[in-house]
Amino acid sequence: MQVILPDKSRHTLPQDPQDIRGILLKFGCNPTSVIVIRNGIVVPEDFTAREDDEIRIISVSHGG
Amino acid sequence: MLSPDEQRRYSRQIMLFGEEGQEKLKDATIFIAGAGGLGSPIALYLAAAGVGKIIIADNDLVELSNLNRQIVHSTPDIGERKSESARQKMGAINPGIIIEGHHGTIDSENISTLIKDTDGIVDAMDNFETRYILNKAAYEKKIPLFHGGIHGFSGQATTIIPGRTACLRCIFPHAPPKETFPVLGTTAGFIGVLQANEVIKYLIGTGELLENRLLLWDGERAELDTIEVEKNPSCPICGNNGE
Repeated sequence: MQVILPDKSRHTLPQDPQDIRGILLKFGCNPTSVIVIRNGIVVPEDFTAREDDEIRIISVSHGG
Repeated sequence: MLSPDEQRRYSRQIMLFGEEGQEKLKDATIFIAGAGGLGSPIALYLAAAGVGKIIIADNDLVELSNLNRQIVHSTPDIGERKSESARQKMGAINPGIIIEGHHGTIDSENISTLIKDTDGIVDAMDNFETRYILNKAAYEKKIPLFHGGIHGFSGQATTIIPGRTACLRCIFPHAPPKETFPVLGTTAGFIGVLQANEVIKYLIGTGELLENRLLLWDGERAELDTIEVEKNPSCPICGNNGE
């Protein structure tokens, strides 16, 4: 699967299913500061990503 | 019925949506939560557009460090209540509308009173704790919530229609840590104007709202993106086992 980090860098992960929480941990992303998009749709942390998925991690803009 | 002055003032937008649309704006009440970076353009543009009644709430005083982005406030306003400073500027732009300033913190105790009889809530807050209070109240009272958030060159916006779209908690299940955040005035301007545009479209009933879509602005790369969002069945607010 492809993972796109907030800095727009792309990373290829092994084909095995992985939960979003584990992917965030692997890339050192704080789950409270990001949202995760799988194939264009926001998914929760307990979602399991599969081999062909594109996972995009986006920083939450929390200011006003 | 619009007065001759109102017909002249709003003539360029009446060309877009007719006097009927303008009267919808005139009859509307909008609550703006926050008179800071996002609240500034939202307040100015909604006042200029002729939203009949605007309530704006903030608990802060104007500081020098606000003025790179909070364009509703000026240097002579330093030390003034933001709600009052905003009220004065909005009134100067459009004396024909009703503006109420509320100086104080928005909390779960007073939110029902603040949003009573409003047609929309605009989220111009700088923290997710208060955003969650707005979201819960919006869901319970079935009032649309127009969300915006900014950080640095980046921002996001979405329009939440209770019962029809994902709520704020579905999209952002965790509150990001509070911090003093870097931000450019143009980021606040860009996202705030988007929010004001959503409010106007909603009130008039025209165009396509950012329903179940999260708009992402990357000002550093000048890139705009929208992603789909869905209701989360486990959401503690609007999910199957909500609060």
